Amino acid sequence: MAQADIQLQIPSAAFYIEPVRAFVGNLAKSLGFSRKRVADIQLVLDEVCSNAVHHGSVNATVGVKLCISIDTDTLAILVRDTGARHAGKKSWLTHERLSEIERNRSPNNESGHGIFIAKSLSDMHEMQTNASGGTDVRVVFRFLKPRDIEI
Amino acid sequence: MDSTKLMKLREESGIKIIEIKTDLSSYAASDLRKMLEGLLAEKVEKVVVNLSQVSHINSTAVGALVGVAKRLRQSGGDLKICALADNLTRTFNLIGASSVVEIYESENSALAAF
Repeated sequence: MAQADIQLQIPSAAFYIEPVRAFVGNLAKSLGFSRKRVADIQLVLDEVCSNAVHHGSVNATVGVKLCISIDTDTLAILVRDTGARHAGKKSWLTHERLSEIERNRSPNNESGHGIFIAKSLSDMHEMQTNASGGTDVRVVFRFLKPRDIEI
Repeated sequence: MDSTKLMKLREESGIKIIEIKTDLSSYAASDLRKMLEGLLAEKVEKVVVNLSQVSHINSTAVGALVGVAKRLRQSGGDLKICALADNLTRTFNLIGASSVVEIYESENSALAAF
């Protein structure tokens, strides 16, 4: 058994989310996830990366880092931003802000659904402020059966 | 790149139909919002969005459709969507947007609902 990590960095711009979504979709498919689960993984990735790009970066040149980890039981994706997209706010993640987003989420709202989707469709979802003052979001998807990975 | 080139706009019986031929992640969702807001600016009242060739939609795109549907209803119009793949239907249901925007199986049924 071996674990594999794939590191990616994209400019903090929405345009670059699509190729990453395609890559992760192909990876998940290759790992044996069902078609439905691949769509879930791609949607969660899109939502998490969109938050990082739109709320968690000073400008496009800073970049968003991804670490995709594969082991026998899980596919885990860590998305790291550097924070400070908005003046006066370093990390967009605060307990108060998260509570406000979750409390106010409504089907009638045009935004505020991304974290809800990521939590709903992943097997595990974690958010925390990172050392650079930005936000780390980690989502985990479990294989239905443990894999014997040869990497 | 301009994804609006993959969003074909036509008109039938006074109803604007947007046929989308690209997946709707953040970048394309932004272009979809611009296109819909352009229709609002032109005082268009009735819109059908055909998603038959879309295999992915994120919450930004769903939010744009919800927002424009609500604004059109305020002026007596509406936005209806049609031909969703199963995973798109699941996304609408998860967010709850299927209770806000009318969804139809086909473009003809969406047009007939006006």
